[in-house]
Amino acid sequence: MAVTETRFKCLNCGHEYDGIYDSQVVQERTCPKCRSNSVRRLPKAKPDKAKK
Amino acid sequence: MMTYSEVEAVTGYVGNFNVTVRKKARYVDPNECTSCAECAEVCPVAVPDEYQQGFSSRKAIYLPFPQAVPSAYVLNMDDCLGNNPIACGKCADVCDKNCIDYDDQDKLVNIEVGVIITATGMDVYDPTEYDEYGYTRHENVITSMEFERLICAGGPTEGHFIRPSDRKTPQTIGFIQCVGSRSRDGRGNPYCSNICCMNTVKDTLLLCDHYPGIEAKVFYMDIRAFGKGFEDLYMRSKEEGVKYIRGIPGDVTEDPETRNLLLTVENTTTGKLENHELEVLVLAQGVIPRRDNDRIRKLLTLSTTSDGFIMESHPKLKPVDAPTKGIYIAGCAESPKDVKDSVTQASAAAARASILLNAGKTKIEAITSQIDADKCNFCGICAQVCPYNAIVSSDRKTKRLPVIIQAACAGCGACAAECPQDAITMRHFRDEQILAQIEAILAVEPHKHLLTFACNWCSYAGGDDAGTARLQYPTASRLIRTMCSGRVDQKFVLHAFKLGAPIVLVSGCHFSDCHYISAVHWTQKRMDKLWNKLDKLGVRPDRLRLEWISAADGQKFAKVMRELDDVIKNVTMDEIEYTMNVLAEEEAKAKEKKTKTRVEVQA
Amino acid sequence: MADELKKPGDLRIGVFVCECGLNIAGTIDCAAVSKYAETLDDVAAVVQNKYTCADPGQNEIKKAIKKYNLNRVVVASCTPKIHEPTFRECVADAGLNPYLFEMVNIREQCSWVHQNEKLLATEKAKDLVRSGVARARFLEPQTEAEVSVTKAALVIGGGVAGIQAALDLADGGHQVYLVEKEPTIGGIMAALDKTYPTMDCSI
Repeated sequence: MAVTETRFKCLNCGHEYDGIYDSQVVQERTCPKCRSNSVRRLPKAKPDKAKK
Repeated sequence: MMTYSEVEAVTGYVGNFNVTVRKKARYVDPNECTSCAECAEVCPVAVPDEYQQGFSSRKAIYLPFPQAVPSAYVLNMDDCLGNNPIACGKCADVCDKNCIDYDDQDKLVNIEVGVIITATGMDVYDPTEYDEYGYTRHENVITSMEFERLICAGGPTEGHFIRPSDRKTPQTIGFIQCVGSRSRDGRGNPYCSNICCMNTVKDTLLLCDHYPGIEAKVFYMDIRAFGKGFEDLYMRSKEEGVKYIRGIPGDVTEDPETRNLLLTVENTTTGKLENHELEVLVLAQGVIPRRDNDRIRKLLTLSTTSDGFIMESHPKLKPVDAPTKGIYIAGCAESPKDVKDSVTQASAAAARASILLNAGKTKIEAITSQIDADKCNFCGICAQVCPYNAIVSSDRKTKRLPVIIQAACAGCGACAAECPQDAITMRHFRDEQILAQIEAILAVEPHKHLLTFACNWCSYAGGDDAGTARLQYPTASRLIRTMCSGRVDQKFVLHAFKLGAPIVLVSGCHFSDCHYISAVHWTQKRMDKLWNKLDKLGVRPDRLRLEWISAADGQKFAKVMRELDDVIKNVTMDEIEYTMNVLAEEEAKAKEKKTKTRVEVQA
Repeated sequence: MADELKKPGDLRIGVFVCECGLNIAGTIDCAAVSKYAETLDDVAAVVQNKYTCADPGQNEIKKAIKKYNLNRVVVASCTPKIHEPTFRECVADAGLNPYLFEMVNIREQCSWVHQNEKLLATEKAKDLVRSGVARARFLEPQTEAEVSVTKAALVIGGGVAGIQAALDLADGGHQVYLVEKEPTIGGIMAALDKTYPTMDCSI
């Protein structure tokens, strides 16, 4: 369960993209658009929200 | 010297390592064995000989190769008919010196050493993956290691180079370079294996020497002959008539009748498609990290670069030191290299190790962490965080405190930042010291300042680099230096926002440069938590920034400073005030909760 | 918060502002920074120097430590990456624990990168000095402990690199354990025929 698909968001330019996240092996993140490292792993949408 | 032995466990720290070595059962006493070979003569088992790349066979009891050291036979129990002498037992019968013992057992030996040199070597790339070359389908496609055995006077053919299908000496031979190296398509490895070009040049010269008139062709991307005397050798090979064709074959098929190999290749020098027919094809297989590298890495708390080779302390200035003190690296364990470079690095590692051995003592870091026994609740997180395994974990059941081995602690401070109880004090970079700096910086006009945490080794040095290059950037930045970005506690960042910081920047080394093996990973994890937390509190997460800046990247440092100066201007006073209030509330709540639990505990 | 954390006791901090010729003084008003430093709590002495790292500058530090009975030293000059060891040694010479010294970088990260913003650069230098003094209040003496080194080495791997390292160490008179996983040493090199660039035998 360590590897999951995650959405990343660059806090510098706002660019969003999908990527792989492995909680066991932390990877360096770089925004493919602006090269910033302020790339946030967006939390998953809550299931109750998704149901609605 | 302990052969047929493996390191099983390593504990301790610089100057005082305790190592457990497993001496595998050899079933033959190496001190008594005279290598008379009588045992092997009577052994009824024949298996492929690994040393000869399977071109010949060996017995279950064997000498790995004639010049083996120690010069003693070894019995492979997996091949032996059974350690039941009734089943066979022929070798023991003929051994005059009675040195065969079927009941031999693995032995564990403990040794105490001050330094460790890791020279665990490499493996070779298995070209099966490159299906278009047909290594598994065509008998006359061989690897460069197989070539070595076939051309060697001590090899299975006594140095008569023959092709496998009909045991005839070929008149035409081809070499394909970069098999498993410099690959961008996901197969093999992206790096250059360093040795294969010159190895092939050597092979062609051997062939020309043994078989004048042989037609040799080398298919390559680039020939990298950069070492001393290398270009001469390459030129000699060309003068001998070896054809170098710039282009990597697309596919290899076999003529079913002649068993010859047919290649199609685009010659990138002429731009033309060419066909070649060859009797033997040699794949210049690349160098890969040892497949069991992970074991040694864990034993010695080393780290590896993205390609899997063991990482050195510094790529230029400390190329043979491991990040863990007292451990050194030599040879192909560190990166692919030839014999000369391996020997050079080995001597360097020996010299570095001698410094410690000769001194007989070593100073240890003053900047280390300490456990506060009153605050610790035995959660054990610190031991998980430590990249150096310098913390002996606590035990919740027995209420045993964690122990920080001072000599093994390198002072990154990740444990102090991660400790949920604030029970770890990082000497010289204590919470109080850093909080006092934050407060001092934000005491005057906080809304104008860019509070920046910079790690000592990379991003702080990157800032210095910008200065040395006189790269101009706005004056908003106020740096706080920590040894590692892993030291930056969540509460430092929140405290800064509480005091009215518009933007907080955390900067550190790129993952591959981290001076504390993997401490920087904790920075990344913590940032994820902080971004989520800010989001929840209604604070724009993009006011907290993260940048990896290397020591040589003053350009990036200045660029980030310029960009963030614009961002500061977009943070409104209302926003800052809201943040200050919400964080102050949050802190008050946390305090209340703490006193509550304390009262409960007391009750 | 700083107040409740403040260490009790008699803090006597000395602040030394360096001009570095014109490297710092060309952009930053060093006199203004010195004057500002005097206003900070616990600061017992402020000295301005042309080159703090040179012998006369270091002597000023040593003299001031004695004269004002300083127990913390803050030098505002270049990057600690260059002169932190210099100044640590200097304060140690004057009888102070070297970890009671703090460096503030007003050159690489201030004067050199804000050459056209003299006023703002001076303000930044003041902030940095304030931060350095704040940190200095909480500095504690540290000692670098020594551990003994067992006079023996372990070499893991008996290929060409391992053999060479083991031989060198042994020739140097050290006890060496060479551990090899296979039944024989030699590694991959033993399986090679000839080796470049000299085309001689590998065994």
